Amino acid sequence: MDFFTALRVSGSGLSAERTRVNLASSNLANAETTRGPDGQPYKRLDPVFQAVAMEGANATPGAPGEKPMGVEVSQVVADQTPGKRVYSPGHPDADADGFVTFPNVNPVNEVVNLLSASRGYEANATAVETLKQMAQRGLDISR
Amino acid sequence: MKLFDTTLARLERSLDVRLARHNVLSANVANVDTPGYTAKDVDFKAAMAAASPGTGASAESMTLAGTEGDSIGAGAVGTTGHAADIPLMNAAGSSPSMDGNQVDLDRTMVSLAENGMQYGASARAAGKKLAILRYVSSDGNG
Amino acid sequence: MRSELDMIVGGVRPLERPEAHTIEAPGKSGEGTFTGELTKALGEVDKLQVDADQQAKMVAEGGGNLHEMSLALEKADISMRLAMKVRNKLVDAYNEIMRMSV
Repeated sequence: MDFFTALRVSGSGLSAERTRVNLASSNLANAETTRGPDGQPYKRLDPVFQAVAMEGANATPGAPGEKPMGVEVSQVVADQTPGKRVYSPGHPDADADGFVTFPNVNPVNEVVNLLSASRGYEANATAVETLKQMAQRGLDISR
Repeated sequence: MKLFDTTLARLERSLDVRLARHNVLSANVANVDTPGYTAKDVDFKAAMAAASPGTGASAESMTLAGTEGDSIGAGAVGTTGHAADIPLMNAAGSSPSMDGNQVDLDRTMVSLAENGMQYGASARAAGKKLAILRYVSSDGNG
Repeated sequence: MRSELDMIVGGVRPLERPEAHTIEAPGKSGEGTFTGELTKALGEVDKLQVDADQQAKMVAEGGGNLHEMSLALEKADISMRLAMKVRNKLVDAYNEIMRMSV
């Protein structure tokens, strides 16, 4: 059984959680951005996590669906729910009726995502530490 | 029948390659904020297959003098010495960030940990083999 | 009284013979001789060394199982030390015999 598949799996988890933190930070930073690069209000971004097989996991017995799987962010989707419209005729981005569309970002949700991603990151890092200690103990058998 | 057999030779080779890989990965970590930096890694299987120094370098050699963008301390991440025949490859990285940097810090740190553990295991095995030989050669008196 | 004595004597069952351990006459240098056993034991020590070598090679090539390698190395070490001690004892015994004045 491969010793280091677990390390790569945890590595992929760390990477994915970091992406999640990046996106949540982006959403928070752009909570009031009414004009993005394409001229439209900012739409919040969501990562899509997908389980992927790790190379080297073939050594573990079991059917393909039961091997240890890593994670990757397969795509980043923009949330298409329309943002709230605020009547503000003097705003540079007001449309013909005087309404400004603000991004569909709810800061409370984003902070919750941030916390959850940071806990996930810590958990993966703990898994890596634990494996390192296990490996050290395994080597210590031979003094 | 040789005193120091092929197993010991393979262990020595693996120690060399692991050390080289550590240098490469550390260079990646050092350049985590460098715009346009391409993350590198050691092709371990190919490096182990290249049996001994002097068989001819297959891919790029080990000198990593800064050629990518404006790396911090361009010469500082160069390595010299024994490992002229250890093939490098571009690390399977994540998508490059906005400044073109391709270093995935988490995977790199995990690879560093794995590499360190493997180095320790190879070193332990080599030490143990030599200890057995030493014990036998000294008539069982340590 | 005689019948009671008979009863007592008859009640004592004969001692059961333990399973006789068949000791075969050993061949020249086959199973059962000292040489044979020694050769077999050295063969096992050698096998442990080869095992440890294979495990170490697997780890060097980048796969392998760390704790299996550690255990194999430790077994090889211990068995070799024991073999050395046996060898030293044999040499001492030989010297002792050679020292005996005839």
